[in-house]
Amino acid sequence: EKLGFMQYRQPPGKPELIKCRSPEKETFSCWWKPVSDGGLPTNYTLFYNNEGEESFYECPDYTTAGPNSCYFDKKHTSLWTIYNITIKATNEMGSNISEPHYVDVTYIVQPNPPVNLSLALNKHTDGKLYLLMNWSSPPLADVRSGWLTLEYELRLKPEEGEEWETIFVGQRTKYKVFSLIPGEKYIAQVRCKSDHGEWSKWSSESYIHLPKEFRLKDMMVWVFVAVLSSVICLIMIWMMGLKGINMVACILPPVPGPKIKGLDAHLLEAGKNEELLSALGCQGFPPTSDCEDLLVEFLEIDDSEDQQLMPNHEKGHPNKNLKSGNKETDSDSGRGSCDSPSLLLEKCKESRIPPAEFQTPDFSETQVKAAGKSSQETQNRDPELKLPDFNSDGVKSSTWPGTQLASSQIPKGSYHNIVEVCKVAFSAMNVNVSAIRMGNEEKHPSKYSKNIETICEGEMTQRRKGESFHSKAKADQALQWLLPNEKSPFLSDKPMDYVEIHKVNQNGALAVLPKQKENSDKTEIYPIPGTTKEYAKVTRVVDNNVLVLMPESRVQGMPVFQEPPKESAQSLHQSQAEKNMSYCLTAPSEFRLQTGGLEYMDPNSFMCSFK
Amino acid sequence: LICSCQRRACQVSLGDLFDRAVKLSHYIHSLSSEMFNEFDERYAQGRGFITKAINSCHTSSLTTPEDKEQAQQIHHEDLLNLVMGVLNSWNDPLLHLVSEVQTIKEAPDTILWKAVEIEEQNKRLLEGMEKIVGRLHPGGLGNELYSRWSGLPSLQLPDEDSRLFAFYNLLHCLRRDSHKIDNYLKLLKCRLIHDSNC
Repeated sequence: EKLGFMQYRQPPGKPELIKCRSPEKETFSCWWKPVSDGGLPTNYTLFYNNEGEESFYECPDYTTAGPNSCYFDKKHTSLWTIYNITIKATNEMGSNISEPHYVDVTYIVQPNPPVNLSLALNKHTDGKLYLLMNWSSPPLADVRSGWLTLEYELRLKPEEGEEWETIFVGQRTKYKVFSLIPGEKYIAQVRCKSDHGEWSKWSSESYIHLPKEFRLKDMMVWVFVAVLSSVICLIMIWMMGLKGINMVACILPPVPGPKIKGLDAHLLEAGKNEELLSALGCQGFPPTSDCEDLLVEFLEIDDSEDQQLMPNHEKGHPNKNLKSGNKETDSDSGRGSCDSPSLLLEKCKESRIPPAEFQTPDFSETQVKAAGKSSQETQNRDPELKLPDFNSDGVKSSTWPGTQLASSQIPKGSYHNIVEVCKVAFSAMNVNVSAIRMGNEEKHPSKYSKNIETICEGEMTQRRKGESFHSKAKADQALQWLLPNEKSPFLSDKPMDYVEIHKVNQNGALAVLPKQKENSDKTEIYPIPGTTKEYAKVTRVVDNNVLVLMPESRVQGMPVFQEPPKESAQSLHQSQAEKNMSYCLTAPSEFRLQTGGLEYMDPNSFMCSFK
Repeated sequence: LICSCQRRACQVSLGDLFDRAVKLSHYIHSLSSEMFNEFDERYAQGRGFITKAINSCHTSSLTTPEDKEQAQQIHHEDLLNLVMGVLNSWNDPLLHLVSEVQTIKEAPDTILWKAVEIEEQNKRLLEGMEKIVGRLHPGGLGNELYSRWSGLPSLQLPDEDSRLFAFYNLLHCLRRDSHKIDNYLKLLKCRLIHDSNC
């Protein structure tokens, strides 16, 4: 280092004692800081004075402890005594003495680090692996005699770990470490301190590499799980095979092919073409404009969800296709207006009935339904199919087949073809499922359909002529023919009139009687008071076979008409089994339509709710 | 301490007695050391008390081993005797220390509390040692050692500086002697109980 001129050849600076330490409470050393030597070689001398002694002694050993140190061996070390130590720095130019330093060896004990730190993996009694750490006290420390009492401290960390884990161990020289991470490499160190002294430096690092733990238990568990699940899978597959369940189809359901509404594949397979076609309903019925002014208008059917006339299908297929909620598009057979052929005939005869009386706005398929499962095309073509209005004349008693009637909806709009209406009516009337099924006369004409057609056409003709319907008689015949169970006379040649539902036969056909008939022998079977009003609106259906009718406000009479199904022999009986097919009316013999001031027969009342 | 019943009387083992004694002596010295350091920091800075505290302990009349060799050469009875002598010699000073340290103005509570604690523990250590001596030397140790303390007046000096030095000196001596006792007892324990194989 460059010295300034002033610093050149100066007496030394004042030395200063840095520290004194005793490693084992038997010897000690002191170190001082070298001073600026003024460019000249400097000599250091250490003098000490023992407590209680007058004279000063010089350091016995300047070398053992290193440069600028003084080492006091055992002979020169006394405990519980204060040393007065000074250092003198001397050079050519002079000398300098440090401040006195008072040192009691008792309180400067700092041991050397422990040695022989060994790490070993051992197995505990319960099979757990632990790390056993062993070390020795520093060689110089006399612990055995008790002169020095050492306490130890460990620290551990994984090789890549950030923080050390420090463990105070006490006076033992071994320690067990549990909860180490298998597969890790650990570093360990240990240090010690005398009972009232200072901590030593940390020992050198020791390493241990923990093996990855292969636990037979773990492997066994996995093996067991694998075997068990495979066994379960096999069992399941086998069982499914037994049952014939096609799981593939279940998981990946086949993409449904295009389906023609109303076309029942099962029927096709079964070869029941007639039924199939009837299920399809009247299709492709060419609309003619003839009927438009002839036939009426709207038969509005109150579209309450509960009120749907549903046919009793032996096979039940059309019903399946029926969706009660799907008013617009479903065109199942049997669903249709409440028109009976006779009614229809009568309607056809009549003048147009104001559409306003219709309650239900959208017919959409009543007609179609009446025609059986009419195709959607029909509907699409004539969304506003009109049905003859029943209201003014009531409903002639006629057997009302338990056809599939969708929610009572009567298409608004122009009725395109009376024939279709007739067909609808007839088909609606069809009691037999098979009869109904033959709705699609176009494709599979049957005598039924032919008859209906004839009747319808005849009706049309009649209408035009303004004559009474022969067709009615024919319809009657047809009806009779169709409904062999029908016993009571129901149709007569007369103008359109209110009908009262006379009965519902087992097939679900409604036998409606003309209103006049009430005076006839059937009167006694009309227990309902206030029956003058025929209009009734079915508010709801109860129990699948009870229609709750509600007359209009005008009617003073009963608000609710409810007749439980009667099992009476007479033509009324509907098989209990057929209840499910949602007869519109579980009409006992005395069933009467109650008019609630409505001017039309609410088709709802004929609608069987399909539940 | 586990009391094992032998010969009608319930006795604590000698090893347990020593363990307890060593614990107490260790504790006492820790307290003394802390107390001294606190006092030194607070009252003795820059006063050069240390220079004056040479050969100033009242127990220095008792010749005690000053290194390991001396300690190992001395007979355990004599060592025990010395321990008892030092402990007895401190009974009185500790009592006065408690009362007088409170007069130090603004004496911290820690110093006060430690003085009380040391005095109490010292008494218990004395009792324990008497038991050990009774066990080892039922006839007694003979030459009982004792150093009388006469430092009370200096604790009551009106001169603050002198008074503080008196306290400093007393605490300095207490620290040293408690360390001695602790060290001796540990030696004795290892020698007598563990056969010098601690």
